[in-house]
Amino acid sequence: MSNMAVDIAGIRMKNPVMTASGTYGFGREYGEYFDLSLLGGIVVKGLTLKPREGNKPPRIAETPAGILNSVGLQNPGVEYFLENELPFLRKHDVAVIANIAGNTEEEYCAMTEKLGASVDGIELNISCPNVKEGGVAFGTRPESVYRITQRVKACCKVPLIVKLSPNVTDIREIALSAEEGGADALSLINTLLGMAIDIRTRRPILSNIVGGLSGPAVKPVAVRMVWQVAQAVKIPIIGMGGITTWEDAVEFILAGADAVSVGTANFGNPFAPVEIAGGLKAYLEANEIGAIGDIKGKVMI
Amino acid sequence: MVYKDCEIISNKEIAQGIYELCFVSAQIAEAAEPGQFVHVKIGKGLDPLLRRPISICKADAGQGVISLVYQVVGRGTKVLTEYGPGEVLDVMGPLGKGFPVIEGKCAVIGGGIGNAPLLELASRLRSCDAYLGFRSQGYKVEEFNACCSQVQLASDDGTTGAKGFVTALFDSLKQYDAVYTCGPKPMMRRVKEMCKRDGVKCYISVEERMGCGVGACLVCACKTQAADGSLHYSKACKDGPVFDAEEVMLDE
Repeated sequence: MSNMAVDIAGIRMKNPVMTASGTYGFGREYGEYFDLSLLGGIVVKGLTLKPREGNKPPRIAETPAGILNSVGLQNPGVEYFLENELPFLRKHDVAVIANIAGNTEEEYCAMTEKLGASVDGIELNISCPNVKEGGVAFGTRPESVYRITQRVKACCKVPLIVKLSPNVTDIREIALSAEEGGADALSLINTLLGMAIDIRTRRPILSNIVGGLSGPAVKPVAVRMVWQVAQAVKIPIIGMGGITTWEDAVEFILAGADAVSVGTANFGNPFAPVEIAGGLKAYLEANEIGAIGDIKGKVMI
Repeated sequence: MVYKDCEIISNKEIAQGIYELCFVSAQIAEAAEPGQFVHVKIGKGLDPLLRRPISICKADAGQGVISLVYQVVGRGTKVLTEYGPGEVLDVMGPLGKGFPVIEGKCAVIGGGIGNAPLLELASRLRSCDAYLGFRSQGYKVEEFNACCSQVQLASDDGTTGAKGFVTALFDSLKQYDAVYTCGPKPMMRRVKEMCKRDGVKCYISVEERMGCGVGACLVCACKTQAADGSLHYSKACKDGPVFDAEEVMLDE
């Protein structure tokens, strides 16, 4: 029996398959299809200090093997999450990670304090491309990444994961800044900034004009960035970006990921993360690999 | 809720650019409420990537058959026309909140492809008049005739019924206890205004670009107004696609 369990900076999970923030709500919807305890972890929809209504529709455009979205962090706010959503998630044997986004460093800290030790980890969203303030503004300069990571870490009672934006020139220097700032783990990649135009109306399809690209189309970029970051840092990495099959997950782990997140693939197949976990286990057993960690970063260059 | 491959019985063009696809699913046919939709994966590969939400036109619980009527609008629906009898279709559903079935005298008012989800509803209403608008050629008119007290037709070019908008077929909706509408936004806006003027309960089925179809991804935002007057984005897939006309804004 191969060991599928992973420990991401103290976040213990029975398998390395998580669901990515923004694609999974607070778990309820997909919980109607299967027992959420089959997942390693759930990263909840990005939370803000106050409720947010998000951007005007249309918020989605389909592109070749991908989607552009510009939801704009619609969410009920961190307090509503604590009172109404977290108790449901806590009925399941699954790691719960709160993804948080703010306009100021103070907002990030205020949310981190409110969350306290109620969740298994906090994912710092400094890479959302769909809001004007905050979000990606914090995530694209090494100094600001260092600073916000350090400030949030100082008030964070659980492992802190920093989610990186791919919309940068050198992902390694951003990853290193987060590590130096005290991040316990990294997750990457968030969506790639993109745009689609309706040639009949000559207007952008998204009302926000631009949006974040996800899905299989971004996978090679994500694998490359996970590989580069894994060379640069010592902290664990949660890899994501277009993972649709267990083979994709193996690719990310070989590139250097400790765990993986499934996002866009959930829309096509609600069972995708469960099937990926099953496929990973079968792969390990067929190849007589004792533990998932044994293949981490084992790409042969 | 069902998520499985369903066998296709037929897939035929029933009016210009409009197809009817029937597939077998006893579970969906049994569970479906009028106004609900199924989320269909078209093709096996990564492109098109997203499922396509298609309203249920008819759910025959006795035969265990679902009928979908869809318009060819893009790549996905174009590929869907190529499916034939005996092939299987990957279907999730039934999804969303459907039309509440009201006992009194009702009217369904549809436009274009929006007539399709009104058929199952009309067949379940005890007393129903139908006002159906088409671009040109009509579809499913016989079946509306079979379950409605009266059916009035209009089309943009005069091919089917009166020439002009479906909303020109009536001056007042006062005689109805409830009105149900699905179709182009300007048409639904007009029906909503008339119902408000005439003090008639009105239900609207909206269409938005969708992602997950189950309420997790928040892309199919539809502006709604709460009882306190505050504005919110509801999920067309989970909170809708059917909304009370008083709550749905239809302004963007």
